[in-house]
Amino acid sequence: MKINSYHSWATQLKCLLLLCFMALGGLARAQSAAQQISGKVTDEAGAALPGVTVLIKGSTAAVVTDDAGSYRIRVNSAQDVLRFAMVGKVSRELSVGGRSVINVTLKDESNTLQDLVVVGYGTSNRKNLTGAITSVKPDQFNAGVISTPSQLLQGKVAGLNITKSGNPNENGAIILRGPSSLRAGAQEPLYVIDGVAAASIDLVAPDDIKAIDVLKDASATAIYGARAANGVILITTKRGDGVAPGLSYSSYAGTESVSNTIDMLSAEQLRNYLGENKKSLNPTDDDGSATNWQDVVQRRGFSTNHNLSLYGGSSKTSYGISANFLENNGIMKGSALERYTLKANVGQKAFNDRLNLNFSVFNSRTVRDDISPLVYPNMLIYLPTVAPRRQDGSYTEDFSRTRNYLNPLSLIDNNIINNKIKTFLGNFQAELDIVKGLKYTLSLSYQDENTNGNFYNNRQSGINRGLNGVAVRNAYANTKKLAETYLSYDKAFGKHVFKLLGGYSFQEDRNGDGFQSSNQGFVTDELTYNNLGLGDPLPGSVVNYGTVRIQTLRLISFYGRINYDLDNKYLFQASLRRDGSSAFGLNNRWGYFPSASAAWRISEENFMKNAAFVEDLKVRVGYGVTGNSLGFDAFTRFSLYAPVERFYYDGRYINAVGPFQNENPDLKWERTAMTNVGVDFSLFKGRVQGSFDVYNKKTSDLIWDYRVSTTQYFVGNLTANVGQIDNKGFEAVVDVSVFNNKKFTWKSSVNFSHNKNVVRSLSNEKFSLSAIPTAQLGGKGQTSNYSQVIQEGLPIGSFNTYRYAGKDSKGVSQFYLPDGNLTTEYSKAAVGLTGNAQPDLIYGWNNSFTLGRFDLNVFLRGVYGNQILNATLAGLNSPGDATTNNIPQFTLNESVNDNNSYIISDRFIENGSYLRLDNATLGYSFNLEKLKALKRLRVYTTASNLFVITKYRGIDPEINMGGIQPGIDNNNFYPKTRSFLFGLNVTF
Amino acid sequence: MKPKYILLAALTFSLAACTKLDVDVESELTPSNFPTNEESFIAATGPVYTRLRSTFAIDYWRMQELSTDEAIIPARDGNYDDGGQYRFMHYHTWTADHPYVKSIWEWGFGGINSSNRILSLFQAAPNSPARTTSLAEMRTMRALFYFFMMDLYGNVPIIKDAVIAEPPPTAARKDVFAFIESELKAALPDLSAAAGQKTYGRPTKWLAYALLEKLYLNAEVYTGQPRYTEAVAMADAILNDAATVYTLEADYMSIFAPTNGPLTKETIFAIPYDANVATGNQFSRFGLHTGLQKKYNLPFRPSIAMSTIKDFYLKFNLTGDVRNKTMLAGKQYENDGSPILIATTKKGMDNSYTGADGAAKVNYHLEFTPEMPLVKENTMDVGNDEIGKARGVRSIKFYPDPATNPDTRNQGNDFPVIRLADVLLMKAEAILRGAAATTVKGELQTPAVLVNKIRSRAGAPTVGAITLDELLDERGREFAWEGWRRNDLIRFGKYEDNWGYKTNKETFRRLFPVPNSERSLNPKLVQNPGY
Repeated sequence: MKINSYHSWATQLKCLLLLCFMALGGLARAQSAAQQISGKVTDEAGAALPGVTVLIKGSTAAVVTDDAGSYRIRVNSAQDVLRFAMVGKVSRELSVGGRSVINVTLKDESNTLQDLVVVGYGTSNRKNLTGAITSVKPDQFNAGVISTPSQLLQGKVAGLNITKSGNPNENGAIILRGPSSLRAGAQEPLYVIDGVAAASIDLVAPDDIKAIDVLKDASATAIYGARAANGVILITTKRGDGVAPGLSYSSYAGTESVSNTIDMLSAEQLRNYLGENKKSLNPTDDDGSATNWQDVVQRRGFSTNHNLSLYGGSSKTSYGISANFLENNGIMKGSALERYTLKANVGQKAFNDRLNLNFSVFNSRTVRDDISPLVYPNMLIYLPTVAPRRQDGSYTEDFSRTRNYLNPLSLIDNNIINNKIKTFLGNFQAELDIVKGLKYTLSLSYQDENTNGNFYNNRQSGINRGLNGVAVRNAYANTKKLAETYLSYDKAFGKHVFKLLGGYSFQEDRNGDGFQSSNQGFVTDELTYNNLGLGDPLPGSVVNYGTVRIQTLRLISFYGRINYDLDNKYLFQASLRRDGSSAFGLNNRWGYFPSASAAWRISEENFMKNAAFVEDLKVRVGYGVTGNSLGFDAFTRFSLYAPVERFYYDGRYINAVGPFQNENPDLKWERTAMTNVGVDFSLFKGRVQGSFDVYNKKTSDLIWDYRVSTTQYFVGNLTANVGQIDNKGFEAVVDVSVFNNKKFTWKSSVNFSHNKNVVRSLSNEKFSLSAIPTAQLGGKGQTSNYSQVIQEGLPIGSFNTYRYAGKDSKGVSQFYLPDGNLTTEYSKAAVGLTGNAQPDLIYGWNNSFTLGRFDLNVFLRGVYGNQILNATLAGLNSPGDATTNNIPQFTLNESVNDNNSYIISDRFIENGSYLRLDNATLGYSFNLEKLKALKRLRVYTTASNLFVITKYRGIDPEINMGGIQPGIDNNNFYPKTRSFLFGLNVTF
Repeated sequence: MKPKYILLAALTFSLAACTKLDVDVESELTPSNFPTNEESFIAATGPVYTRLRSTFAIDYWRMQELSTDEAIIPARDGNYDDGGQYRFMHYHTWTADHPYVKSIWEWGFGGINSSNRILSLFQAAPNSPARTTSLAEMRTMRALFYFFMMDLYGNVPIIKDAVIAEPPPTAARKDVFAFIESELKAALPDLSAAAGQKTYGRPTKWLAYALLEKLYLNAEVYTGQPRYTEAVAMADAILNDAATVYTLEADYMSIFAPTNGPLTKETIFAIPYDANVATGNQFSRFGLHTGLQKKYNLPFRPSIAMSTIKDFYLKFNLTGDVRNKTMLAGKQYENDGSPILIATTKKGMDNSYTGADGAAKVNYHLEFTPEMPLVKENTMDVGNDEIGKARGVRSIKFYPDPATNPDTRNQGNDFPVIRLADVLLMKAEAILRGAAATTVKGELQTPAVLVNKIRSRAGAPTVGAITLDELLDERGREFAWEGWRRNDLIRFGKYEDNWGYKTNKETFRRLFPVPNSERSLNPKLVQNPGY
């Protein structure tokens, strides 16, 4: 195969520079009547309003008022119109008309109609949107110890199902509008940070975020084409556009503790239980101790976050610097997250403000310490009758037992899992006003991510017994180059407003460039993994070089969008993206992703003028097609050879090299077509606002590894596009400003969503599957059993287990056979459908109050109608094993002779509904009128996860809903935490 | 033309050039860069050998042995039930969905297709002596895989090319037999005649002859036509022409020891295993008891599961026979003669104990009992108390390897697929079944003469004459756990006998079913009768 590589990054750059010069050509004809405007923005009471956006209408030139409410902005002509906007205030538009000072008073209004919403390659007013887009502002973010931005949104966006355990190093699973892929890891939404698509989410500290916009329906997301099927989350960071310099410091410190534990037997209870049943422990398993292993391996975790930022600028120049430090010590000993982020940006206007240049860099360094997953089962099953350590200080271990029974404290202390990730993102953006309404934008980005993995199982480690310490280190680099360039043209005449957009994007990701090495047999543990050369491996052992696969993925796209607004009543939008990807098969390298949507602002019609209580009423209809190309690697289409172990050849074992992947010229993205109908409303001057959306999402060309005959293919499986999944649902959001006066305000916001997921097909004429069994959970004697099935007509996460039929006369669990008879032995026939993990309803309810200088926010969220397979409890529930493993209190009620009690059946499929008080914050802002040095000082306290109301018997019902085996609790669950923290916001 | 349009044209041209999607493949081997030289061609033959090794000593072995009286994996209080897969093998109640039925079909045809693919690679390569030998080796390997498939499934498709357009149809067992026979004969002239390091683990002339002997000995089962005389002829080709290449090892145990290898003078074809780089031999992991860990200096905990049942153990009854030492039964002792004691309680030792002092501490002297009474009939469960764990006779024929990888539990004993002893005993059987005895190097080799070579080496009493049934028992003692028991029992018509807990006498089970998963991929595959 001829590898075509002449077309390098440099060539792409040339293309872009050419476009750039073309655009600059228009600059010479630019005209100018620039003028400086200043003024002060106040509320109705005359108090200064900081943070008001002052925007020159028709451009993106904008400033924000400082803490004295003052602003300065440079306008191009006396005909320019300034727009003053702020969350919670009625926006105003004023013509400059030759004035140089414009003071403005903004009225209160709990109305978000005028908010600017980032829509992808541009912005729009909320009232002009034709798609389903949810904006979340910083004051709506979840409070607490936040280790990943998705936590900010949990429960806040209807249709977005986020599940996260208490593990600081787990990013959680995000599913938008129901699962629509069969591939784990292919369900993440596309993150766009300040216009940089697919940037690393670890780069952004929550304090630096100005707004998060979630594009949900295809008419909004289709502009992002083949990567947009899981939704697009646009993160806009603070930049300091033309505001007076301001230094801010915010900080919190808090403690986390485990929110719930599983009630295992105490040592005394276990001894009594065994005694009553004429059983006993082996002498080596009882040293007279009483150990609560969950307490031994858990701790009160201390977390802290500091953020220092400086934003400012003049009419020409803006700058921002922000530094953030987060330390999040998990409640499991040995797990921790530490992250430094640094962000800096400089903006400069030139050519009479017609050229706007922005440079920004993001830098982050994350250090993650993790623990062996074996800790989770062992902290439950390890016998409470032995002490963590023996008299001589060594860890109590019984290596004569089967392999996975290991002292949980030893697992934590003697095995290091450490990852360091350094990420850099540099971005250059230029915006040029060529002629009035015509703007050219160029954005160049480079992201460099370096990961270092360090692993050491020491000489005491029960995982690598007999090897005297095993160290593995690796280092990999992932780079991303991204160039976006687009022209936009806005034109209004009479009742007609047109907005046109056309652009080109080039992205190249080169991942996995690095190496791994390993050694074993260390004479001392003092140096852990730091000096690989000190190991003396056993004869014949091999270095673990890992699998190095340098993967280069290139994505090239053309896109265009047209918006037409007739008389401010009828809104139309159409977009088209043409995406090409090097990952797709030669026959399917390019795809088109169209969308069209329309909205009717009924409230603008004459017949609605009498209904004065209706401020805004809009009906939206949209349809679009997007793709999902996540989750398979860049070279899936190639025929590849790889080493398949070693074979004996003339005295040596040498690498055998064989085919490892079939050529696949037909491979393409998963295709999602979504129809969305929505209503937005704002009543009683914005006191009641909300929206309803109904959608129908059809995902076809699902990617799955199909078994193929090796008589026709070199390798027995082929990644192919087959099958269809449907998701239908509705979402509703209602915000009510219940009270709103000077002393006391109360805002209440409710969102809920329902989704129905069903797998329509897994077959086509070439490949067929009636069902994919999933969820091989292991467990005693159940090695090859599956507990879920993906099957046509059923939702993803359908449980397929035994059906429990009580106990027989001897007290042994029995199960139904299809004919209604009962069995106590293994029989495949006894397995049947027993429920599913998909929830009926997900909801969130936020209430925020202000009383004088106090503010209080309380957020409840929940899930209703889902089921969880509690395989953890099933596995523990084995009375016959009480002489070797601890058992839970639950098992005390089992018949002692039940040697089927642990078998996974619908007895352990539980109602997973819950209501959680997710977080509550009480704050106080000090009166600083007499203290000139400070502009703002607020202190607050936050409690997270105060309570959960649920019938679920496991640690917490918030079980991972990502992947293709959702809703399973199987000894792998990092407990949820409850945290209390104190925080401080200061602005100087 | 106005400059504006020139610029526009340039822009259009430039944009057209900005759509190249081809990227560099930097760390992968693709058909464009592999294989290109002699070493890479050798590396390309490797997958056939790694495939053979992969599940030979586990899934393939279990199909050939758990379905007989030689080996059993009972459940132990629910452990090792694993969906009934071991139990179904013992009871002869497997279906076309059984995991081994599926995995071994994939294994065998994976090996056949790999051979075909490598043959097509080599056919395109320039001619050289190395290429000629490699082609013969690949054809022999394909024939070996076909032999396994034909032995297990009987009627299987014959595939001779790397990639074929249409799914292949099932061929009758006798046609598969003929294909294997002609392939081996065609490969013979180009195969190496040397044993030792140079060819160890790869086919030689002698493997081809031994495999033909195996084919002819079983021809009556496979095709209905007895061909015992030809079986004897194949044996004689080895016994005459390879007399200096192969001899019976004086030390029987050394043939299977962790240190076995190219210097083992008896092995005609072995699958080399290594604890770290050539994995898949886990006999000690599955078969031994945790109480034996210290005695055999094992760096891992064995999982107690696999043993031999009483009916078969009782065949090890000859005095002085070193082969008796491969079986562990009765009370067990450390190397220094002290008893192997396990600290437990009365109830922990025997779960059925009902006395009030169940918690009283006792030291249980580990004792492997040939009897395996079931505590739970329907799942073939012998219990998991100390007595239950010690049920069943253990085999140390593949002697425990102290250099076993503690992590993966893979040991380094190579697996002899065909060895000289089998050539001798097959010849003896062919003569008993009607072929004429022949003279080799001046010795008239009657069945008794041949059997006595084996018996003498084992230190067992010699015989004056031998019957077929006695020969089967001799094969049991000599080749226990070497993967031939099912083949032998079928040839002797005893595969339907009762042993252990098995009572099923269905004769259609002499063939395994075509896995359902394959029939859904290839509708031309015909299911074997009875399934």
